[in-house]
Amino acid sequence: MTHAHGRSTGLPISRATMAGAATALALLLSATALAQPAGGGRIGGQSQPPAGQELPVDDTSVEQAPAPNARRIYVSDPAHFAVLTQLFTIDGDKGKLLGMSDTGFVPNTVVASDGSFFGTASTVWSRLGHGKRTDYIEILDARTHNPIIDIELPKDPRFLVGTYPMMTTLTPDNKSLLFYQFSPSPAVGLVSLTDKKLVKMMDVPDCYHIFPSDNNNFFMHCRDGSMLKVTFKADGSAERKKTQVFHKEDEYLYNTPAYSAKAGRIVWPTYTGKTFQVDVTGNEAKFMPAFEAFSDEEKAQGWAPGGWQVVAYHRESDRVFLLADQRAKWTHKSPSRFVFVFEGKTGKRLNKIDLGHETDSIAVSQDKTPQLYALSSAQKTLFIHDAESGKEVSKVDRLGHSPLVINTSDM
Amino acid sequence: MRRALLSALLVALPLHAASAADAIEVLPDASAAPAEAKQVQIAKMKFNPTDITVKAGTVVTWTNSEALPHNVHFKAGGPNVSKDIEGPMLRANQTFSVRFNQAGTYDYICTPHPFMKAKVTVE
Ligand SMILES: [Cu+2]
Repeated sequence: MTHAHGRSTGLPISRATMAGAATALALLLSATALAQPAGGGRIGGQSQPPAGQELPVDDTSVEQAPAPNARRIYVSDPAHFAVLTQLFTIDGDKGKLLGMSDTGFVPNTVVASDGSFFGTASTVWSRLGHGKRTDYIEILDARTHNPIIDIELPKDPRFLVGTYPMMTTLTPDNKSLLFYQFSPSPAVGLVSLTDKKLVKMMDVPDCYHIFPSDNNNFFMHCRDGSMLKVTFKADGSAERKKTQVFHKEDEYLYNTPAYSAKAGRIVWPTYTGKTFQVDVTGNEAKFMPAFEAFSDEEKAQGWAPGGWQVVAYHRESDRVFLLADQRAKWTHKSPSRFVFVFEGKTGKRLNKIDLGHETDSIAVSQDKTPQLYALSSAQKTLFIHDAESGKEVSKVDRLGHSPLVINTSDM
Repeated sequence: MRRALLSALLVALPLHAASAADAIEVLPDASAAPAEAKQVQIAKMKFNPTDITVKAGTVVTWTNSEALPHNVHFKAGGPNVSKDIEGPMLRANQTFSVRFNQAGTYDYICTPHPFMKAKVTVE
Protein backbone atom coordinates (compact mmCIF):
# COMPACT_ATOMS: atom_id res chain seq x y z
CA MET A 1 0.00 0.00 0.00
CA THR A 2 1.40 3.32 -0.95
CA HIS A 3 -1.30 5.76 -0.05
CA ALA A 4 0.43 8.98 0.87
CA HIS A 5 -1.54 10.69 3.56
CA GLY A 6 -0.75 14.25 4.50
CA ARG A 7 -0.54 14.64 8.25
CA SER A 8 -1.45 18.22 7.77
CA THR A 9 -1.47 20.80 10.45
CA GLY A 10 -1.75 23.46 7.80
CA LEU A 11 -4.43 25.83 6.74
CA PRO A 12 -8.00 24.66 6.78
CA ILE A 13 -8.24 25.40 3.06
CA SER A 14 -5.65 22.77 2.21
CA ARG A 15 -6.81 20.23 4.77
CA ALA A 16 -10.32 20.20 3.41
CA THR A 17 -9.29 19.40 -0.14
CA MET A 18 -6.39 17.07 0.46
CA ALA A 19 -8.32 13.79 0.59
CA GLY A 20 -5.20 11.72 0.90
CA ALA A 21 -4.06 11.73 -2.73
CA ALA A 22 -0.40 12.52 -3.28
CA THR A 23 -0.97 14.23 -6.61
CA ALA A 24 -3.71 16.42 -5.22
CA LEU A 25 -1.43 17.28 -2.34
CA ALA A 26 1.38 18.35 -4.66
CA LEU A 27 -0.97 20.50 -6.68
CA LEU A 28 -2.36 22.11 -3.58
CA LEU A 29 1.05 22.91 -2.20
CA SER A 30 2.01 24.77 -5.34
CA ALA A 31 -1.39 26.46 -5.53
CA THR A 32 -1.03 27.59 -1.92
CA ALA A 33 2.41 28.95 -2.63
CA LEU A 34 1.18 30.86 -5.66
CA ALA A 35 -1.75 32.23 -3.77
CA GLN A 36 0.34 33.67 -0.96
CA PRO A 37 -0.28 37.38 -1.00
CA ALA A 38 2.81 39.52 -0.59
CA GLY A 39 1.77 41.23 2.60
CA GLY A 40 -0.57 38.79 4.31
CA GLY A 41 -4.31 38.91 3.61
CA ARG A 42 -7.09 36.42 3.17
CA ILE A 43 -7.56 33.27 1.11
CA GLY A 44 -10.96 31.68 0.93
CA GLY A 45 -12.09 33.68 3.91
CA GLN A 46 -9.34 32.27 6.17
CA SER A 47 -6.98 34.52 8.05
CA GLN A 48 -3.28 34.25 7.30
CA PRO A 49 -0.75 34.17 10.12
CA PRO A 50 0.90 37.51 10.71
CA ALA A 51 4.04 38.20 8.70
CA GLY A 52 7.14 36.70 10.25
CA GLN A 53 5.34 33.76 11.88
CA GLU A 54 6.21 30.38 10.38
CA LEU A 55 3.54 28.47 8.47
CA PRO A 56 2.84 24.96 9.71
CA VAL A 57 4.51 22.39 7.45
CA ASP A 58 2.55 19.72 5.55
CA ASP A 59 4.36 16.47 5.92
CA THR A 60 3.66 13.28 3.99
CA SER A 61 4.27 9.69 4.92
CA VAL A 62 3.45 6.18 3.73
CA GLU A 63 0.86 4.70 6.03
CA GLN A 64 0.57 1.14 7.24
CA ALA A 65 -2.61 -0.80 7.63
CA PRO A 66 -3.50 -1.65 11.22
CA ALA A 67 -2.72 -5.15 12.47
CA PRO A 68 -5.13 -7.54 10.75
CA ASN A 69 -8.00 -9.07 12.69
CA ALA A 70 -10.82 -11.47 11.86
CA ARG A 71 -12.64 -8.61 10.15
CA ARG A 72 -9.93 -7.93 7.60
CA ILE A 73 -11.50 -8.46 4.19
CA TYR A 74 -9.89 -8.85 0.77
CA VAL A 75 -12.14 -8.16 -2.21
CA SER A 76 -10.81 -9.19 -5.62
CA ASP A 77 -12.02 -7.49 -8.78
CA PRO A 78 -11.32 -9.70 -11.82
CA ALA A 79 -12.78 -6.76 -13.81
CA HIS A 80 -14.67 -8.88 -16.36
CA PHE A 81 -11.52 -10.75 -17.46
CA ALA A 82 -9.38 -7.63 -17.88
CA VAL A 83 -5.61 -8.16 -17.87
CA LEU A 84 -5.01 -5.64 -15.10
CA THR A 85 -7.06 -6.15 -11.96
CA GLN A 86 -7.12 -5.02 -8.34
CA LEU A 87 -7.37 -6.42 -4.87
CA PHE A 88 -8.94 -4.21 -2.19
CA THR A 89 -8.05 -4.45 1.49
CA ILE A 90 -10.95 -3.51 3.74
CA ASP A 91 -11.37 -2.97 7.47
CA GLY A 92 -14.72 -4.56 8.34
CA ASP A 93 -14.91 -2.89 11.76
CA LYS A 94 -14.78 0.58 10.31
CA GLY A 95 -16.27 -0.21 6.91
CA LYS A 96 -13.25 1.46 5.40
CA LEU A 97 -10.95 0.86 2.45
CA LEU A 98 -7.38 0.38 3.73
CA GLY A 99 -5.47 -0.15 0.52
CA MET A 100 -5.25 -1.62 -2.93
CA SER A 101 -2.87 -4.05 -4.65
CA ASP A 102 -2.39 -4.45 -8.38
CA THR A 103 -3.00 -7.93 -9.73
CA GLY A 104 -2.93 -9.59 -13.16
CA PHE A 105 -5.28 -11.81 -15.16
CA VAL A 106 -7.94 -13.76 -13.17
CA PRO A 107 -5.92 -13.69 -9.95
CA ASN A 108 -6.52 -16.13 -7.10
CA THR A 109 -6.19 -14.68 -3.61
CA VAL A 110 -4.86 -16.45 -0.52
CA VAL A 111 -4.76 -15.16 3.06
CA ALA A 112 -2.50 -16.58 5.78
CA SER A 113 -4.28 -18.44 8.57
CA ASP A 114 -2.90 -15.89 11.07
CA GLY A 115 -3.67 -12.94 8.79
CA SER A 116 -0.02 -11.87 8.63
CA PHE A 117 0.20 -11.95 4.86
CA PHE A 118 -1.92 -12.27 1.78
CA GLY A 119 -1.08 -12.91 -1.82
CA THR A 120 -2.15 -13.88 -5.27
CA ALA A 121 -1.39 -16.40 -7.98
CA SER A 122 -1.45 -14.21 -11.04
CA THR A 123 -0.60 -13.98 -14.72
CA VAL A 124 0.85 -11.14 -16.81
CA TRP A 125 2.06 -10.78 -20.41
CA SER A 126 5.04 -8.76 -21.64
CA ARG A 127 2.80 -6.69 -23.95
CA LEU A 128 -0.19 -6.32 -21.66
CA GLY A 129 -2.52 -8.77 -23.46
CA HIS A 130 -0.01 -10.72 -25.56
CA GLY A 131 3.69 -11.52 -25.77
CA LYS A 132 5.51 -13.65 -23.24
CA ARG A 133 3.26 -15.03 -20.52
CA THR A 134 4.46 -15.16 -16.92
CA ASP A 135 2.62 -16.96 -14.12
CA TYR A 136 3.76 -16.05 -10.64
CA ILE A 137 2.96 -16.10 -6.93
CA GLU A 138 3.16 -12.80 -5.10
CA ILE A 139 2.99 -12.62 -1.31
CA LEU A 140 2.40 -9.23 0.36
CA ASP A 141 2.77 -8.13 3.96
CA ALA A 142 -0.66 -7.46 5.47
CA ARG A 143 0.42 -4.20 7.13
CA THR A 144 2.73 -2.57 4.58
CA HIS A 145 1.26 -4.22 1.47
CA ASN A 146 4.83 -4.55 0.22
CA PRO A 147 5.71 -7.69 -1.75
CA ILE A 148 7.75 -10.05 0.43
CA ILE A 149 7.87 -13.11 -1.85
CA ASP A 150 7.74 -13.37 -5.65
CA ILE A 151 7.93 -16.80 -7.24
CA GLU A 152 7.80 -17.36 -10.98
CA LEU A 153 6.01 -20.54 -12.04
CA PRO A 154 7.74 -22.28 -14.96
CA LYS A 155 5.74 -23.38 -18.04
CA ASP A 156 2.67 -21.21 -17.26
CA PRO A 157 0.72 -23.83 -15.33
CA ARG A 158 -2.13 -21.69 -13.96
CA PHE A 159 -5.72 -22.56 -14.83
CA LEU A 160 -7.14 -19.35 -16.29
CA VAL A 161 -10.76 -19.39 -15.21
CA GLY A 162 -13.31 -17.13 -13.52
CA THR A 163 -12.02 -17.04 -9.94
CA TYR A 164 -12.93 -20.08 -7.85
CA PRO A 165 -11.41 -19.54 -4.40
CA MET A 166 -10.58 -23.19 -3.76
CA MET A 167 -8.45 -23.51 -6.92
CA THR A 168 -5.53 -21.90 -5.05
CA THR A 169 -4.95 -22.36 -1.35
CA LEU A 170 -2.42 -22.41 1.49
CA THR A 171 -1.61 -25.29 3.80
CA PRO A 172 -2.57 -24.49 7.44
CA ASP A 173 1.08 -23.79 8.40
CA ASN A 174 1.23 -21.13 5.62
CA LYS A 175 4.42 -22.72 4.28
CA SER A 176 3.07 -24.23 1.07
CA LEU A 177 0.77 -22.92 -1.63
CA LEU A 178 -1.22 -25.31 -3.80
CA PHE A 179 -2.73 -24.35 -7.16
CA TYR A 180 -4.65 -26.20 -9.85
CA GLN A 181 -3.57 -26.93 -13.43
CA PHE A 182 -6.28 -27.93 -15.92
CA SER A 183 -4.39 -28.35 -19.19
CA PRO A 184 -2.70 -30.38 -20.61
CA SER A 185 -3.59 -32.68 -17.75
CA PRO A 186 -4.99 -32.21 -14.25
CA ALA A 187 -2.29 -31.47 -11.69
CA VAL A 188 -1.73 -29.59 -8.46
CA GLY A 189 1.32 -27.34 -8.20
CA LEU A 190 3.15 -27.48 -4.88
CA VAL A 191 4.91 -24.18 -4.16
CA SER A 192 7.24 -23.86 -1.17
CA LEU A 193 6.97 -20.35 0.26
CA THR A 194 9.98 -21.04 2.47
CA ASP A 195 12.22 -22.21 -0.40
CA LYS A 196 10.52 -19.72 -2.73
CA LYS A 197 10.05 -22.12 -5.63
CA LEU A 198 7.68 -24.44 -7.42
CA VAL A 199 8.56 -27.84 -5.98
CA LYS A 200 6.53 -30.05 -8.31
CA MET A 201 3.42 -30.38 -10.44
CA MET A 202 1.69 -33.33 -8.77
CA ASP A 203 -0.36 -35.42 -11.22
CA VAL A 204 -3.93 -36.05 -10.15
CA PRO A 205 -6.87 -37.81 -11.81
CA ASP A 206 -9.82 -35.91 -13.30
CA CYS A 207 -10.54 -33.96 -10.09
CA TYR A 208 -11.00 -30.27 -9.19
CA HIS A 209 -10.56 -27.82 -6.27
CA ILE A 210 -8.08 -28.18 -3.41
CA PHE A 211 -9.06 -28.54 0.26
CA PRO A 212 -5.99 -28.97 2.50
CA SER A 213 -6.93 -31.03 5.57
CA ASP A 214 -3.46 -30.60 7.07
CA ASN A 215 0.03 -29.66 5.91
CA ASN A 216 0.54 -32.90 3.95
CA ASN A 217 -2.96 -33.84 2.84
CA PHE A 218 -5.59 -32.31 0.63
CA PHE A 219 -8.89 -33.38 -0.88
CA MET A 220 -10.30 -32.79 -4.34
CA HIS A 221 -13.69 -33.37 -5.98
CA CYS A 222 -13.68 -35.70 -8.98
CA ARG A 223 -15.76 -35.88 -12.17
CA ASP A 224 -17.22 -39.22 -11.12
CA GLY A 225 -18.72 -37.69 -7.95
CA SER A 226 -16.12 -38.98 -5.50
CA MET A 227 -13.52 -37.14 -3.46
CA LEU A 228 -9.80 -37.75 -3.90
CA LYS A 229 -7.35 -37.72 -1.01
CA VAL A 230 -3.79 -36.73 -1.91
CA THR A 231 -1.03 -37.28 0.66
CA PHE A 232 2.16 -35.51 -0.35
CA LYS A 233 5.71 -35.10 0.92
CA ALA A 234 7.91 -32.02 0.87
CA ASP A 235 9.49 -33.14 -2.43
CA GLY A 236 6.07 -33.39 -4.10
CA SER A 237 5.92 -37.20 -4.18
CA ALA A 238 2.31 -38.10 -3.54
CA GLU A 239 -0.16 -40.90 -2.92
CA ARG A 240 -3.75 -40.72 -4.14
CA LYS A 241 -6.88 -42.46 -2.95
CA LYS A 242 -10.50 -42.04 -4.05
CA THR A 243 -13.53 -42.17 -1.79
CA GLN A 244 -17.01 -43.46 -2.54
CA VAL A 245 -19.21 -41.50 -4.97
CA PHE A 246 -21.28 -39.16 -2.77
CA HIS A 247 -23.60 -37.40 -5.21
CA LYS A 248 -25.52 -38.27 -8.37
CA GLU A 249 -24.50 -37.21 -11.85
CA ASP A 250 -27.46 -34.81 -12.18
CA GLU A 251 -26.74 -33.09 -8.83
CA TYR A 252 -24.66 -30.12 -9.92
CA LEU A 253 -22.34 -28.79 -7.23
CA TYR A 254 -21.39 -25.10 -7.32
CA ASN A 255 -17.86 -24.03 -8.30
CA THR A 256 -17.54 -22.07 -5.06
CA PRO A 257 -17.97 -24.32 -2.01
CA ALA A 258 -17.21 -22.97 1.47
CA TYR A 259 -14.30 -24.56 3.29
CA SER A 260 -13.26 -24.13 6.91
CA ALA A 261 -9.76 -25.59 7.23
CA LYS A 262 -9.89 -25.26 11.03
CA ALA A 263 -13.17 -27.16 11.24
CA GLY A 264 -12.23 -29.51 8.40
CA ARG A 265 -15.63 -28.83 6.87
CA ILE A 266 -16.54 -28.52 3.21
CA VAL A 267 -20.05 -27.12 2.60
CA TRP A 268 -21.20 -27.70 -0.93
CA PRO A 269 -24.60 -26.67 -2.29
CA THR A 270 -26.11 -27.76 -5.60
CA TYR A 271 -28.01 -25.55 -8.04
CA THR A 272 -31.27 -26.57 -6.33
CA GLY A 273 -30.08 -25.97 -2.76
CA LYS A 274 -29.36 -29.57 -1.76
CA THR A 275 -26.34 -29.04 0.46
CA PHE A 276 -23.63 -31.66 0.85
CA GLN A 277 -21.14 -31.48 3.70
CA VAL A 278 -17.86 -33.34 3.94
CA ASP A 279 -15.92 -33.59 7.20
CA VAL A 280 -12.22 -34.06 6.43
CA THR A 281 -10.86 -33.94 9.97
CA GLY A 282 -8.19 -36.57 10.62
CA ASN A 283 -7.56 -36.66 6.85
CA GLU A 284 -10.55 -38.92 6.29
CA ALA A 285 -13.58 -37.87 4.24
CA LYS A 286 -16.77 -38.43 6.21
CA PHE A 287 -19.96 -37.59 4.33
CA MET A 288 -22.55 -35.89 6.50
CA PRO A 289 -26.22 -36.29 5.55
CA ALA A 290 -27.05 -33.74 2.83
CA PHE A 291 -29.83 -31.27 3.67
CA GLU A 292 -32.34 -29.55 1.40
CA ALA A 293 -32.25 -25.76 1.81
CA PHE A 294 -35.74 -25.46 0.33
CA SER A 295 -38.95 -27.41 0.69
CA ASP A 296 -40.64 -28.83 -2.41
CA GLU A 297 -43.20 -26.03 -2.15
CA GLU A 298 -40.46 -23.38 -2.09
CA LYS A 299 -38.70 -25.04 -5.01
CA ALA A 300 -41.98 -24.89 -6.94
CA GLN A 301 -42.03 -21.14 -6.20
CA GLY A 302 -38.57 -20.85 -7.75
CA TRP A 303 -36.41 -20.60 -4.61
CA ALA A 304 -32.85 -21.67 -5.38
CA PRO A 305 -29.27 -20.51 -4.76
CA GLY A 306 -27.73 -18.01 -7.15
CA GLY A 307 -24.63 -15.84 -7.46
CA TRP A 308 -20.87 -16.40 -7.46
CA GLN A 309 -19.79 -17.22 -3.89
CA VAL A 310 -23.18 -18.53 -2.80
CA VAL A 311 -22.25 -20.16 0.49
CA ALA A 312 -20.39 -19.22 3.67
CA TYR A 313 -19.73 -21.20 6.84
CA HIS A 314 -19.19 -19.90 10.38
CA ARG A 315 -17.04 -22.38 12.24
CA GLU A 316 -17.69 -21.60 15.89
CA SER A 317 -21.49 -21.45 15.64
CA ASP A 318 -21.64 -24.20 12.97
CA ARG A 319 -23.85 -22.08 10.71
CA VAL A 320 -24.30 -22.27 6.95
CA PHE A 321 -25.23 -19.10 5.05
CA LEU A 322 -26.74 -19.61 1.59
CA LEU A 323 -27.32 -16.85 -0.97
CA ALA A 324 -30.63 -17.48 -2.77
CA ASP A 325 -33.66 -15.97 -4.46
CA GLN A 326 -36.64 -16.88 -6.62
CA ARG A 327 -35.28 -17.53 -10.07
CA ALA A 328 -35.67 -19.36 -13.35
CA LYS A 329 -33.73 -22.59 -13.90
CA TRP A 330 -30.19 -22.07 -15.29
CA THR A 331 -29.83 -18.59 -13.76
CA HIS A 332 -27.61 -19.95 -10.99
CA LYS A 333 -24.93 -17.29 -11.58
CA SER A 334 -27.32 -14.35 -11.35
CA PRO A 335 -27.30 -12.38 -8.09
CA SER A 336 -29.72 -12.97 -5.20
CA ARG A 337 -31.30 -10.74 -2.54
CA PHE A 338 -31.61 -13.14 0.39
CA VAL A 339 -29.42 -15.17 2.71
CA PHE A 340 -30.83 -18.28 4.37
CA VAL A 341 -29.13 -19.40 7.58
CA PHE A 342 -28.98 -23.06 8.63
CA GLU A 343 -27.63 -25.05 11.54
CA GLY A 344 -24.73 -27.00 10.00
CA LYS A 345 -25.22 -30.26 11.88
CA THR A 346 -28.94 -30.65 11.29
CA GLY A 347 -29.69 -28.44 8.28
CA LYS A 348 -32.43 -26.78 10.35
CA ARG A 349 -33.32 -23.34 8.99
CA LEU A 350 -32.65 -20.58 11.52
CA ASN A 351 -33.15 -17.33 9.64
CA LYS A 352 -33.91 -15.63 6.37
CA ILE A 353 -32.13 -12.33 5.83
CA ASP A 354 -33.36 -9.80 3.29
CA LEU A 355 -30.13 -8.11 2.17
CA GLY A 356 -31.99 -5.37 0.35
CA HIS A 357 -29.65 -5.43 -2.63
CA GLU A 358 -28.64 -7.70 -5.50
CA THR A 359 -25.71 -9.75 -4.17
CA ASP A 360 -23.20 -11.87 -6.07
CA SER A 361 -20.96 -13.14 -3.27
CA ILE A 362 -21.18 -13.66 0.46
CA ALA A 363 -18.71 -14.45 3.25
CA VAL A 364 -18.68 -14.28 7.05
CA SER A 365 -15.98 -13.23 9.48
CA GLN A 366 -14.95 -15.96 11.94
CA ASP A 367 -15.15 -13.97 15.19
CA LYS A 368 -17.75 -14.57 17.94
CA THR A 369 -20.18 -11.96 16.63
CA PRO A 370 -19.65 -12.45 12.91
CA GLN A 371 -20.18 -9.95 10.18
CA LEU A 372 -21.91 -11.05 6.99
CA TYR A 373 -20.30 -9.64 3.87
CA ALA A 374 -22.46 -9.16 0.78
CA LEU A 375 -20.72 -8.08 -2.40
CA SER A 376 -22.62 -6.53 -5.30
CA SER A 377 -20.68 -6.63 -8.57
CA ALA A 378 -23.07 -4.30 -10.37
CA GLN A 379 -23.00 -1.72 -7.55
CA LYS A 380 -19.24 -2.31 -7.01
CA THR A 381 -20.03 -2.24 -3.30
CA LEU A 382 -19.35 -4.44 -0.29
CA PHE A 383 -22.26 -4.29 2.15
CA ILE A 384 -21.40 -5.23 5.72
CA HIS A 385 -24.21 -6.76 7.77
CA ASP A 386 -24.53 -8.07 11.28
CA ALA A 387 -24.75 -11.83 10.64
CA GLU A 388 -27.17 -12.44 13.53
CA SER A 389 -29.77 -9.77 12.84
CA GLY A 390 -29.02 -9.31 9.15
CA LYS A 391 -28.97 -5.54 9.67
CA GLU A 392 -26.70 -3.56 7.34
CA VAL A 393 -24.07 -1.73 9.40
CA SER A 394 -21.80 -0.15 6.77
CA LYS A 395 -20.67 -0.37 3.20
CA VAL A 396 -17.59 0.26 1.06
CA ASP A 397 -18.22 1.39 -2.50
CA ARG A 398 -16.24 2.09 -5.68
CA LEU A 399 -14.53 -1.32 -5.62
CA GLY A 400 -13.22 -1.46 -9.18
CA HIS A 401 -15.13 -2.65 -12.23
CA SER A 402 -16.80 -5.88 -11.20
CA PRO A 403 -15.67 -7.09 -7.76
CA LEU A 404 -16.53 -10.75 -7.32
CA VAL A 405 -14.49 -12.59 -4.73
CA ILE A 406 -14.23 -12.17 -0.94
CA ASN A 407 -11.40 -13.66 1.13
CA THR A 408 -11.12 -13.52 4.92
CA SER A 409 -8.99 -15.37 7.45
CA ASP A 410 -10.08 -17.57 10.35
CA MET A 411 -7.41 -16.38 12.78
CA MET B 1 23.06 -32.23 -51.16
CA ARG B 2 19.72 -33.84 -51.85
CA ARG B 3 18.99 -33.95 -48.12
CA ALA B 4 19.77 -30.25 -47.71
CA LEU B 5 17.49 -29.36 -50.59
CA LEU B 6 14.67 -31.44 -49.16
CA SER B 7 14.77 -29.74 -45.78
CA ALA B 8 14.88 -26.34 -47.45
CA LEU B 9 11.73 -27.24 -49.34
CA LEU B 10 10.04 -28.50 -46.22
CA VAL B 11 10.40 -25.20 -44.45
CA ALA B 12 8.13 -23.61 -47.02
CA LEU B 13 5.48 -26.30 -46.78
CA PRO B 14 2.47 -25.94 -44.51
CA LEU B 15 2.47 -27.84 -41.24
CA HIS B 16 0.08 -30.61 -42.28
CA ALA B 17 2.26 -31.69 -45.22
CA ALA B 18 4.88 -33.03 -42.86
CA SER B 19 7.78 -35.15 -43.98
CA ALA B 20 7.17 -38.85 -44.22
CA ALA B 21 10.05 -39.14 -41.79
CA ASP B 22 8.04 -37.47 -39.03
CA ALA B 23 6.82 -39.93 -36.43
CA ILE B 24 3.33 -38.42 -36.60
CA GLU B 25 2.26 -37.32 -40.07
CA VAL B 26 -0.99 -35.39 -40.17
CA LEU B 27 -2.86 -36.07 -43.43
CA PRO B 28 -4.15 -32.95 -45.18
CA ASP B 29 -7.80 -33.98 -45.45
CA ALA B 30 -10.20 -36.85 -45.02
CA SER B 31 -9.91 -37.97 -48.63
CA ALA B 32 -6.20 -38.64 -48.08
CA ALA B 33 -6.97 -41.42 -45.64
CA PRO B 34 -6.80 -44.88 -47.18
CA ALA B 35 -9.82 -47.15 -46.95
CA GLU B 36 -8.02 -49.52 -44.62
CA ALA B 37 -7.28 -46.78 -42.03
CA LYS B 38 -7.80 -47.80 -38.42
CA GLN B 39 -10.89 -46.10 -36.98
CA VAL B 40 -11.33 -44.40 -33.57
CA GLN B 41 -14.75 -43.02 -32.65
CA ILE B 42 -15.26 -40.00 -30.37
CA ALA B 43 -18.48 -39.83 -28.36
CA LYS B 44 -19.74 -39.26 -24.82
CA MET B 45 -16.47 -37.64 -23.71
CA LYS B 46 -14.44 -40.69 -24.71
CA PHE B 47 -12.15 -41.99 -27.42
CA ASN B 48 -13.22 -45.49 -28.43
CA PRO B 49 -11.09 -47.54 -28.34
CA THR B 50 -8.87 -45.66 -25.92
CA ASP B 51 -5.91 -47.92 -26.62
CA ILE B 52 -5.05 -49.22 -30.09
CA THR B 53 -2.01 -50.98 -31.49
CA VAL B 54 -1.04 -50.60 -35.16
CA LYS B 55 1.87 -51.40 -37.46
CA ALA B 56 4.29 -48.64 -38.48
CA GLY B 57 2.97 -46.82 -41.54
CA THR B 58 -0.70 -47.27 -40.56
CA VAL B 59 -3.16 -44.37 -40.86
CA VAL B 60 -5.53 -43.81 -37.93
CA THR B 61 -8.74 -41.84 -38.54
CA TRP B 62 -10.72 -40.26 -35.71
CA THR B 63 -14.41 -39.47 -36.25
CA ASN B 64 -16.41 -37.30 -33.89
CA SER B 65 -19.89 -38.77 -33.80
CA GLU B 66 -21.56 -36.23 -31.49
CA ALA B 67 -22.47 -32.51 -31.51
CA LEU B 68 -19.95 -31.57 -28.83
CA PRO B 69 -16.66 -30.63 -30.58
CA HIS B 70 -13.55 -32.66 -29.75
CA ASN B 71 -10.05 -32.92 -31.16
CA VAL B 72 -6.91 -35.03 -31.01
CA HIS B 73 -3.96 -33.39 -29.31
CA PHE B 74 -0.47 -34.91 -28.99
CA LYS B 75 1.22 -32.75 -26.35
CA ALA B 76 4.89 -31.98 -26.60
CA GLY B 77 6.77 -33.66 -23.77
CA GLY B 78 4.74 -36.86 -23.94
CA PRO B 79 6.54 -40.05 -24.98
CA ASN B 80 7.82 -39.78 -28.58
CA VAL B 81 6.24 -36.35 -29.12
CA SER B 82 8.83 -33.59 -29.42
CA LYS B 83 6.53 -30.99 -30.97
CA ASP B 84 2.95 -30.12 -30.01
CA ILE B 85 0.44 -31.43 -32.57
CA GLU B 86 -2.99 -29.98 -31.87
CA GLY B 87 -5.62 -31.25 -34.28
CA PRO B 88 -8.53 -29.02 -35.29
CA MET B 89 -11.78 -29.17 -33.34
CA LEU B 90 -14.04 -31.71 -35.06
CA ARG B 91 -17.76 -31.09 -35.32
CA ALA B 92 -20.20 -33.97 -35.70
CA ASN B 93 -19.09 -36.48 -38.37
CA GLN B 94 -15.83 -34.67 -39.15
CA THR B 95 -12.63 -36.69 -39.27
CA PHE B 96 -8.92 -36.31 -38.58
CA SER B 97 -6.24 -38.68 -39.88
CA VAL B 98 -2.67 -39.34 -38.88
CA ARG B 99 -0.06 -41.75 -40.32
CA PHE B 100 2.27 -43.22 -37.67
CA ASN B 101 5.71 -43.79 -39.16
CA GLN B 102 7.75 -44.88 -36.18
CA ALA B 103 7.32 -47.49 -33.51
CA GLY B 104 6.52 -46.19 -30.04
CA THR B 105 3.67 -45.12 -27.76
CA TYR B 106 1.81 -41.91 -28.52
CA ASP B 107 -0.40 -40.42 -25.79
CA TYR B 108 -3.04 -37.88 -26.74
CA ILE B 109 -5.86 -35.86 -25.19
CA CYS B 110 -8.73 -33.62 -26.31
CA THR B 111 -7.63 -30.01 -25.77
CA PRO B 112 -10.74 -28.63 -23.99
CA HIS B 113 -11.41 -31.97 -22.24
CA PRO B 114 -7.99 -33.01 -20.89
CA PHE B 115 -9.61 -35.86 -18.97
CA MET B 116 -10.23 -37.49 -22.40
CA LYS B 117 -7.02 -39.49 -22.59
CA ALA B 118 -6.03 -42.24 -24.99
CA LYS B 119 -3.03 -43.68 -26.79
CA VAL B 120 -1.78 -45.29 -29.98
CA THR B 121 0.93 -47.94 -29.78
CA VAL B 122 2.90 -48.37 -32.99
CA GLU B 123 4.81 -51.64 -33.49
CU1 LIG C 1 -13.36 -33.29 -26.14
